[in-house]
Amino acid sequence: MESFPVLTALIVLPFIGALVVSLLPARRPELVYPVSIGVSLPSLAMALWLLYNFTSGDPTFQFVEDVTLSESLGIGWVLGVDGISILLVVLTAVIVPIAIAASKSVADRQKTFMVSLLVLTAGMFGVFVALDLLIFFAFFEIVLIPMYMLIGIWGSENRLYASMKFVLYTAIGSVFLLAGIIVMAVLAGDTAGTTTSFDFRVMLDTQLSTTAQLWLFAAFGIAFAVKVPLFPFHTWLPDAHTEAPTAGSIILAAVLLKMGAYGFLRFNLTLFPQASVDLAEVMGILAVIGILYGAAVAIVQPDVKRLVAYSSVSHLGFIILGIFALTSQGLQGSVIQMVSHGLTTGALFLLVGMIYERRHTRKIADYGGIAAVMPLYAGFFLFMAFASIGLPGLSGFVGEFTILVGSFLTLPVLAIAAAFGVVLAAIYMLWAYERMFTGRLDKPQNENLKDLGLREIAILVPLVLLVLWIGLYPKPALDRIGPSVELILDRIELTTDYAAPEYGRADEVADVRLEAGQHG
Amino acid sequence: MDNAAFLPIAPEVIALVGAMVVILLAVVLERPRAEWGVVAGVALAAAVVFSVLQWRELDSLDVAGELFFSAKDFPLLREPMVVMDRYSAFAGAVLYSLMLVGLFSAWGLITRVGTRGAEFVTLVLLAAAGLHIMTLAANLVLLFLGLEIASISFYVMAGFTRDRVKSDEASMKYFLLGSLASALFIYGVALAFAGTGSTSVYGAGGIREFFQANIVKEPGVLLIGLSLMIVGLAFKVSAAPFHQWAPDVYQGAPGGAVGMMAAGVKVAGFAALGRVLIGAFPSQIDSWAPVVAVLAGVSVIVGVLFAAVQTDVKRMLAYSGVAHAGYILTAFVAGQAGIPAMWFYVATYAFMLLGAFTVAAAVSGPRRGAASFDAFAGLSVRSPELAWAMMFLLLGLGGIPFTAGFIGKVSVFTAAADAGYGWLVVLALVTTVVGLYFYLRLVATMFMRQPVAAEAPGADEAPPELPTTGRVAVAVAVGVTFFFGLVPWPLLDIVRDALPL
Repeated sequence: MESFPVLTALIVLPFIGALVVSLLPARRPELVYPVSIGVSLPSLAMALWLLYNFTSGDPTFQFVEDVTLSESLGIGWVLGVDGISILLVVLTAVIVPIAIAASKSVADRQKTFMVSLLVLTAGMFGVFVALDLLIFFAFFEIVLIPMYMLIGIWGSENRLYASMKFVLYTAIGSVFLLAGIIVMAVLAGDTAGTTTSFDFRVMLDTQLSTTAQLWLFAAFGIAFAVKVPLFPFHTWLPDAHTEAPTAGSIILAAVLLKMGAYGFLRFNLTLFPQASVDLAEVMGILAVIGILYGAAVAIVQPDVKRLVAYSSVSHLGFIILGIFALTSQGLQGSVIQMVSHGLTTGALFLLVGMIYERRHTRKIADYGGIAAVMPLYAGFFLFMAFASIGLPGLSGFVGEFTILVGSFLTLPVLAIAAAFGVVLAAIYMLWAYERMFTGRLDKPQNENLKDLGLREIAILVPLVLLVLWIGLYPKPALDRIGPSVELILDRIELTTDYAAPEYGRADEVADVRLEAGQHG
Repeated sequence: MDNAAFLPIAPEVIALVGAMVVILLAVVLERPRAEWGVVAGVALAAAVVFSVLQWRELDSLDVAGELFFSAKDFPLLREPMVVMDRYSAFAGAVLYSLMLVGLFSAWGLITRVGTRGAEFVTLVLLAAAGLHIMTLAANLVLLFLGLEIASISFYVMAGFTRDRVKSDEASMKYFLLGSLASALFIYGVALAFAGTGSTSVYGAGGIREFFQANIVKEPGVLLIGLSLMIVGLAFKVSAAPFHQWAPDVYQGAPGGAVGMMAAGVKVAGFAALGRVLIGAFPSQIDSWAPVVAVLAGVSVIVGVLFAAVQTDVKRMLAYSGVAHAGYILTAFVAGQAGIPAMWFYVATYAFMLLGAFTVAAAVSGPRRGAASFDAFAGLSVRSPELAWAMMFLLLGLGGIPFTAGFIGKVSVFTAAADAGYGWLVVLALVTTVVGLYFYLRLVATMFMRQPVAAEAPGADEAPPELPTTGRVAVAVAVGVTFFFGLVPWPLLDIVRDALPL
């Protein structure tokens, strides 16, 4: 590999962008918006370059950087991407410019707003590429602060409460993660012969007793479960999502929640395979409760933003179910669903934000029949609603269908129960659409609503195209995810007596895996 | 053992000479004030340089430390009085640079108290020398002397704006409780002497050797003595349940002086605790480590719970200081292995605390004490630089990644986990969340609330002003917070060697 540290550059670029924006002269406030979009684009280019140069079919980490920071403490600036994280990096890179572009109407301290968003971006990239657990934790935790600012300064009425709740909930989870990481590092230090070792690759070689695995699984799991959020740790989410400004909601839904699911996939399954197998059913049950509960609560929400927020709880339940099905299809579906949920729910929050800017209400009852005045908007909304429900041909279908197939192999009862979540999704989404858009336009305030402008359409179209692409031709994505999740499954099978169902597993991939050996 | 050596006590000598020069200057030149600061600043900077030279000397001799100043003819002075090791050299570099920054921070106060400013500058130098003596003492009596020099200087500083009743009250409270703590400490030294026949830490007849040479079957009196010393120092570093003086003193004392007082005593107090526990009583670690662990556990709980309900920023910082004392104590349970973590934490924390108090003093005014949350409302609009600086310092205190506070916390918790104190690590980690709550509450007050002139009659409508010197102090603090958060490795390498002899 060439010497240029691309992944470091990926993390640093948004920081430089933030610096550029913060140095803009205060006399020229009109520059902030275009410059912010501008500085977010190099990250996108970089992420696409990574995707283009990513060797599909190679399950190991690529573009690896490894700089030892402290020999005795076993801390290193270790970065790398595999088939799972590359997609999340690209998702982040796509969502951020969209979130920035959607924030034109932020008037109060717009510069600080953009700087917070860009710092947040750097943190999100860091989470997905870090292979040293201390570095991972640092990024995992640092994203809280800009998000806290985003919700707390630019949120709606109840913002102080929601932002503090968001931070404290997540921080309590993180505390256990940090405790787990420290214990893990001390144990791994014995393997490496140093005081501690935070290197993921060293940790993979560390043998843990079943009890230790259970405890550490719990410590890591609580942090990730709060972040996902998994039932019953989800109560921060509706508040945070609802109070956050549009860009905050988009990023929260599209990327931040994925950090939890990513953490389960990357760390819990690989570091604590025995505990993952033992607890798979428990996690699956919690996931299914989340699916059904989130969907049921979404149905009765009078506030459309809250409805989308609860739908996230439901969709994220699918992702966790897919992960703990411990089958090839389940894991692949989970990763696809992570990307798909990021695109569709991000788009739905974006759409809700657009109508909120016009009408300053999120109550479904305040609308009705507005398809008559906003046909384009209604079209986009319906498209994204369908994608979110999982209509075949759109991205949600690929993810959720694969998850259901995968989980049916090992957790059939839960899979059947989860399938009802899809039905409920159709109910809450379409019912909300019906109440907001169809029928007679009976509220005089809605008569003068303007349809989408050119800028807004330009923001939405990329999301539509990506949803269609994943929905119609998911093969490129699956080619990259497949080998990496197979590697995780292999690891579980090697270290435990669990055997994943062979149905649909590619043998030739298995050969590549054996040659490539372990991660890293 | 050299009785004519200069280097081991060079920093103190320079600081004390500087103090005398300032007093003379104040007598000779009645008006000019900048000169006092220049003299004191040069003296402190020179002391830092000599501390570094001490370290280099030890490197070139390739020894862990050297002992100095003993008098064979006097029974009590038979063992060396002063130790020069990397521990004391590092402490010197930190303490003198901290007091130098503290001088910048306090300059706004010094220029406002007229000719008495010279006294204040003198006190700063005396306090600095006293604090460092605490860390280089090889004899517990000398340690006590250093403690008293520093403490008395700080009592006076706390009451420096004597026209304010609150300041008097703070000074008196500090004096009474501080004297009690000193008395407990010296009583502990006396009991240790009763048990071992020596007040010396090192040397052939010292306490450490005593435990090497003898098997102590009933160490009762020794352990009581050790406990009293721990309690005395716990008072000084405001570890719970010996912290009650801190909030009142920090709130009542003149704003410009508090940062230096709070931070300086923490650094020297923990260094002295390390000297006692790991220098003199390393063999008794099984006896004192659980005590320290309980002290740490109580401190973090009491600290964060009380800090969370404060309505005054300085009281909040005082109670959070109790919690931080607990986090630092967490490192001690690992014995010698915890010292590097302790150093990293306390050295960076001291600067963050100093910076935070400097900002608080700017908001409350350099002479006034109280700084309510309401006075901070909307600070991001009234004075964006101060608000941002305060936010960064608070994030550092809260242990957010990419600040020195995060590295410090990870270091101490790793040390404690390695020593098998898992419960303490989990407890301490959980309390950091509460810590995050009250630090972010202040961030929210600064950034998410409107200024409330009506609610806080004392708060000025005008933006809080901070003279350039104060800005320098805050900038250094923010710089330390971020530099050692992003590139902690050089400092981590240094503190790894900064062990007591």
